[in-house]
Amino acid sequence: MSQSIVITGSGIVSAIGLDKESVYQSLLSRQSGIALPAILKTNHKDIPVGEVKMSNEEMKSLLNIDDLYVNRTTLLGMMAVDQAIAEARLAGISKKSCRVVLVSGTTVGGMDVTESYFSSMLTSEDHMKCMLTHDCGNSTRLLAERYNFIQDYTTVSTACSSAANAIMLAANLIKSGQADIAIAGGTEALSKFHLNGFNSLMILNKENCRPFDDTRAGLNLGEGAGFVVLESKETAIKRGADIQAYLAGYGNACDAYHQTASSPDGEGAYQAMSQALSMSGLKTGDIDYINAHGTGTPNNDESESAAIFRLFGDDVPAISSTKSFTGHTTSASGGIEAVICLLALQHSFLPANLGWSNQMTNGVTPTLGEENRELNHVMCNSFGFGGNDSSFILSKHETSYIPTTFADGEIKVVSRVEIESVAELSRIKEYLKPMEIRRMGPLMRSTLLSSLEALKQAGIERPDAIVTGTMLGCIDNSEKLLREMVATDEATTSPTLFMQSTHNTIGSAIAIQLGCHGYNTTYTQAEYSLDWCMRDAELLLRSGTAKTVLVGCHDENTEWYGWVQRAIGREVMPNIHSVAMVLTLAADK
Amino acid sequence: MANPELINEVKEHIIDALHLEDITPADIENDAPLFGDGLGLDSIDALELIVMLEKKYGIRIANPADGKDVFKSVTSIAEFVSSHKA
Repeated sequence: MSQSIVITGSGIVSAIGLDKESVYQSLLSRQSGIALPAILKTNHKDIPVGEVKMSNEEMKSLLNIDDLYVNRTTLLGMMAVDQAIAEARLAGISKKSCRVVLVSGTTVGGMDVTESYFSSMLTSEDHMKCMLTHDCGNSTRLLAERYNFIQDYTTVSTACSSAANAIMLAANLIKSGQADIAIAGGTEALSKFHLNGFNSLMILNKENCRPFDDTRAGLNLGEGAGFVVLESKETAIKRGADIQAYLAGYGNACDAYHQTASSPDGEGAYQAMSQALSMSGLKTGDIDYINAHGTGTPNNDESESAAIFRLFGDDVPAISSTKSFTGHTTSASGGIEAVICLLALQHSFLPANLGWSNQMTNGVTPTLGEENRELNHVMCNSFGFGGNDSSFILSKHETSYIPTTFADGEIKVVSRVEIESVAELSRIKEYLKPMEIRRMGPLMRSTLLSSLEALKQAGIERPDAIVTGTMLGCIDNSEKLLREMVATDEATTSPTLFMQSTHNTIGSAIAIQLGCHGYNTTYTQAEYSLDWCMRDAELLLRSGTAKTVLVGCHDENTEWYGWVQRAIGREVMPNIHSVAMVLTLAADK
Repeated sequence: MANPELINEVKEHIIDALHLEDITPADIENDAPLFGDGLGLDSIDALELIVMLEKKYGIRIANPADGKDVFKSVTSIAEFVSSHKA
């Protein structure tokens, strides 16, 4: 079977439209969806955002959902997945004949609902049922259970590159024969939590963002969802599905530089784009358009420009950041921008980069939009906190891509370290300096300690890939941030707490510590988080992408969250639990 | 000049805000650089110091670039605080 991965359906909801057609019209008419918050209940009424122009109640009625505590992330996801499924004509597909998997990227999960009841939940169990779908994995479960033909599902949470990494895992599951069809992308609702968090990092623009402009002054947050239906060319032809585009190549690398900033030379971005190009069998000159990550922060646009010049030299393709329309939809951005790229391929146009008028020094020059421009190959960039950088290429025609082969042989656990008590964490001093440790909460310490010890036991300085699982991430930090938000009524937020609240903060901290630029991703699927890490690690080892993989699953608990777990009938997690392993593929005898 | 009491208070706030667990006010020199070669603070610390000024003294720095001059040393922070208190 060939490994040509095709897209046979897609769906989108964003600030510039509730479906593909309306998004297309907004892009053509250069109509931005960024405005002052009208739906998000925040005190920061002066910070513009890209909101989906539909209330939760309206979405619930449209989707026929009658659940008091359903979160906006899930609702937005349902809106987009419904469209993608309809376009790909998946309804009525038989579970017996076709294995359909959902891979969704999110970081916010149910935080929008959690934060609205948090104050009450500090003293009362009345609304704690909402916490059943607080974590990203259970939020995805709710999305998957809407469709009776979905057999399996998981959640990727690498902050702003989550959806791009979801698309990559989906493609690898199909190539390795573990799935026939995969619905992949991302969904993210705006929340006070991350609006205040980004605000504490001082990277939000109080005006509409101006990506790649010399006077750019930060990003605007947005929300929405974007999903594509992926399958092999053979499956698509067999079931008579329309092929919209080919997923020609993709790459994932870690910048391994800083938790919230990109390196000056854009190493992670450069490696991710290079890998995508190399897999696709295309040359730099074949790329007709780049949908940039282009957040509009001084740091991103400079670093991304540097990476693009490194790869493309003086011959940079047409490029734009459509975040100037949608805002930065964080975990959903890779999905939303994949659908925008599909529209550009299909309708032969270059989406504009709004707000640009001043050339930045050492920066790319974005397109202000162009119609009647035939596009064959487009590249889409998604970069996340912690340097989780990914890039993929969509093509109108099949390319002479490099197929992936999956080797047989036994997956070998070279070393395994488990940490089960907070007392053990003092050993971190043997590995890190006090200045490095000072900001780290228990989970960060436990993650680094177990990982560094597993590597030491395996006699490996730096693994080829790092795959990390966590159910809740640094819940201790998240809870503190929520408490601070309640106590100060959104007046102040600690940037350290926010920086360490994303699920991928622990996996990228390992990469930063080791200077590891290899494949790096994070899964958060409740009790199955480690299982999904093992599945991805196996794909990496069998495909030869990595010879050694550091796999880990890490979680912590707080007194308050322990109370929540008892109240909603979930098993109470231990205060700290880390497992770290080094895996390799034993040579076939 | 900022008074010694304020200098000491600022040092305590810095230690607290930046989780400098193993450092006492006496370890921080009044005029030594806080960033780079001095205490070795980084960009996240600069953001935490902005939050600290707002929380403890009600002073808001809107542009992170403005923090550069203010956060040169403990003395410069204390001077900034007293000039805004007046």
